[in-house]
Amino acid sequence: MKNNSITPRQLFFVIIQTQIGVGILSLPFTLFTKAKTDGWMSVMIAGVLIQFVILMIWLLMKRFPGSTLYDVIPLLIGPAAGKVLNALYTIHFIFVSVLILMYFHQITGRWIFPETPKWVMISCVALTSGYLITSSARIIARFFIIMTPLLIVLFLLIAYSYTDAHLLYILPVGVHGMKNVLVGTQDATVALLGFDAALVFFAYTNGKPEKKLKAVSLAALCVTLFYTYVTFTTFIYFNSEEIIIVPEPVLYMLKAFSFKVIERTDLVFMSLWLVSVATSFMSYLFIAAKGVQSVLKLKHHKKTIPYLVFTSIILATIPKSNLQIQQWGKYISLSGIIFTIPIICLLLIIAVARKKQGGNAQYEK
Amino acid sequence: MTQFKKPKPLVSEEQQKASSSQEEETRRTALTTQTSTKAVMTLEERETQLSSIFHKSSDLNFKYISFDKWARRLLFVNLETSSDVKLVQEQIINPLFELGETITPDTFHLIIEAETTIEAEFNTASGLLLDGKTLIFIEGYDVFYAASTAATYKRDIVEPTNERVIRGAHDGFIEDLTTNITMLRKRIKSPKLVVKYFTVGKETHSKGAIIYMEGIANQEIVQKVEHRISCIDSDSVLTPGNIIESIEDHPYSPFPQIMDTERPDRAAGNLMEGRIVVMSALSPMASIMPANFFSFYQSSDDYNTRWLLGSFFRFIRIFSFFTALGFPAVYIAVVSYHFEVIPSGMVLAIKSSLENIPYPPLIEAMIMELTIELIREASIRLPSPIGQTIAIVGGLVIGDAVVSAGLVSNMMIIVVAITAISAYIVPSSEMSEAVRIIRFPLMVLAGTLGFIGIVIGFMVLFIHLTKLTSFGTPFFSPVAPLRMQNLRDTFIRLPFWKLNQRPLDAKPQKLRQENRSRKWEEEEDEE
Repeated sequence: MKNNSITPRQLFFVIIQTQIGVGILSLPFTLFTKAKTDGWMSVMIAGVLIQFVILMIWLLMKRFPGSTLYDVIPLLIGPAAGKVLNALYTIHFIFVSVLILMYFHQITGRWIFPETPKWVMISCVALTSGYLITSSARIIARFFIIMTPLLIVLFLLIAYSYTDAHLLYILPVGVHGMKNVLVGTQDATVALLGFDAALVFFAYTNGKPEKKLKAVSLAALCVTLFYTYVTFTTFIYFNSEEIIIVPEPVLYMLKAFSFKVIERTDLVFMSLWLVSVATSFMSYLFIAAKGVQSVLKLKHHKKTIPYLVFTSIILATIPKSNLQIQQWGKYISLSGIIFTIPIICLLLIIAVARKKQGGNAQYEK
Repeated sequence: MTQFKKPKPLVSEEQQKASSSQEEETRRTALTTQTSTKAVMTLEERETQLSSIFHKSSDLNFKYISFDKWARRLLFVNLETSSDVKLVQEQIINPLFELGETITPDTFHLIIEAETTIEAEFNTASGLLLDGKTLIFIEGYDVFYAASTAATYKRDIVEPTNERVIRGAHDGFIEDLTTNITMLRKRIKSPKLVVKYFTVGKETHSKGAIIYMEGIANQEIVQKVEHRISCIDSDSVLTPGNIIESIEDHPYSPFPQIMDTERPDRAAGNLMEGRIVVMSALSPMASIMPANFFSFYQSSDDYNTRWLLGSFFRFIRIFSFFTALGFPAVYIAVVSYHFEVIPSGMVLAIKSSLENIPYPPLIEAMIMELTIELIREASIRLPSPIGQTIAIVGGLVIGDAVVSAGLVSNMMIIVVAITAISAYIVPSSEMSEAVRIIRFPLMVLAGTLGFIGIVIGFMVLFIHLTKLTSFGTPFFSPVAPLRMQNLRDTFIRLPFWKLNQRPLDAKPQKLRQENRSRKWEEEEDEE
């Protein structure tokens, strides 16, 4: 445990890097199709919602200090059922990683390398990530912190669009109905997923439980604001007729900028965005590896990494058409919501009802 | 023993042997039986034994000495190649012949000027001889004397050629351990500076020293270094590189995890940061451990210039890390995949220079990079007057000719030249070599996957740096793990009086290194 733990500050960055990922490019478009120009409010509402989910996760994990979700589940619902649920969680996390890879290829394929074989792009990201996650949570957190300045660059690149924005596009506010905004909230929640990494990373964090909660909740808040900012910016940059024809509005927006030293800012943005995608993938695959470790009762998660990396590469190359990818995306997003909200809620209720507290679950490595 | 000049009183060996044949023999046997129960070896026996230990090596000298009124003979043994001939003559032979008539063999060691010890174990004799000592056996005695007459040859103390500075001390380590440690001791006059000698190599018996500051250096790391060195099990340890490769954490990494320096001020500075210095007897290299990535980018110059300029130089150096690694890669990526990134004003210039080049940019860059490496290797090996010629022929003639021949574009020459210069900015040669090597895979990645490839490459690089450790301490500190306090002396260099704490990565026992050096400001304000 000693060489493995992270500080609440590191936890903050882990959550940020896990949350910000593929979603950022297409979220404004998705939201626009659901809630028109009020889409940015959906992100805000989703942000509030996930604060409650985080609180729930924290209440659950606080009862079992030093244990991951995979240690907690068998304690709550019995070893046999626990194993099954653990396996389901693991599979879910693997599929989330796969989805990240698929979306990544979809966008790079469309924007930079239409001819490059799918498996090449995917394995580049997957193998790089595999190299990192063989090590401990601490190393992962350190790497995520180094990569955080890139997010500021992304932020500034997007900020440049305010030189050519029209606030009028966002008006009138709230005209499209609360119902549509709430429908959009579901998509926004999916894009904001990543705070569920706390289910495992809480166990590795040192410090008071309150500090951990603060770190995660602050991270989620920052990401919510960032996403709102991105959505809002694209909505005031494009008018409602334009945005409907650009599936990645952020990139189209950046494509229009040209500086004296560099043209086509979107390519730079995409290269930096790749890092955010990879960090989300790393987080999820790490969590999945921890799942495999606990289901198979392995000593170290290291050995599972090669298998997981290859499984995710193979799975991510299966869907051929964009339609299929959409289908996969739909199911995996759904499972993302189910596994993070209702099941955690249920587990919390069981924990409270059965007055389970974590005593023996001492997590190592 | 030709080197012994023979003044008058000496009785020549033949004479002496002949004259004192019978009496000597009887007296000796009498003495031995008296003094010890164990039979004492005769001088001749010792001679044959020693020469068989050294396999009749020709440089092993035996010399019998006796004076007329002496009852016993003396046997002088030394390795003429290890001991200083002049020293033997001046400090042993000359006093002996000046006073030889007035003393007896039992008291003669009092007149030896060289430092002398009394040894009892004949087994240790070969080791003492290898250390350059002159052994003196007295007939009939079991104990013998060992006089320190080791030959030392030193070159002058000059500035190390690969770590020049503009301001600051211009001395450098030399190939003598004692002198080197003296240089450190002169800089750190503290009883806390601990020097521990060690010997490695089963056949070469190479000497070395572990040097650290007690009370600042982390004891755990000191023990780790000592233990790892004691584990070295090899016949020969000839260079410090052998030691480094045996003790570093990640031998397969391209990055050096132990920093080498030939500068005493750099070594002393690192000692004061709580790091450990390992030196080998016959090398001017001081290996500093645990090292971190940024210490390779620090130079003594930074601390002798004003801090603002020092920070600027630091920044330039860190910037050079990225240009040396990534500049050719970015250029390759841009011209082969992302031509649209180039702003409209520059497109024409680049396009026109590229138009007639038969090779793809990757091949073009590889050719030029390899040429630069060839020139570099060649100019190191050649004697300096020819080296300059090679640099001119290689740099100017080849550079100009390849462009006019249409093999390589103008742009590529610019890129390669800037890259080559960037690589040499690093104050430490090993780090600059690491950077030069890593450039090639990055170029290949850029040539196959464009920007994506570069990002992947840099990600792998940073993951690797984050994972690297040096004696268990994080190599990429203070960036990963992020330590704001320590960033004061990495990308920038804050004034001396702002550097209150030692870097955390070496886990020093005492963190505070500076208090309020400018407290006079407050005092003057009060007045």
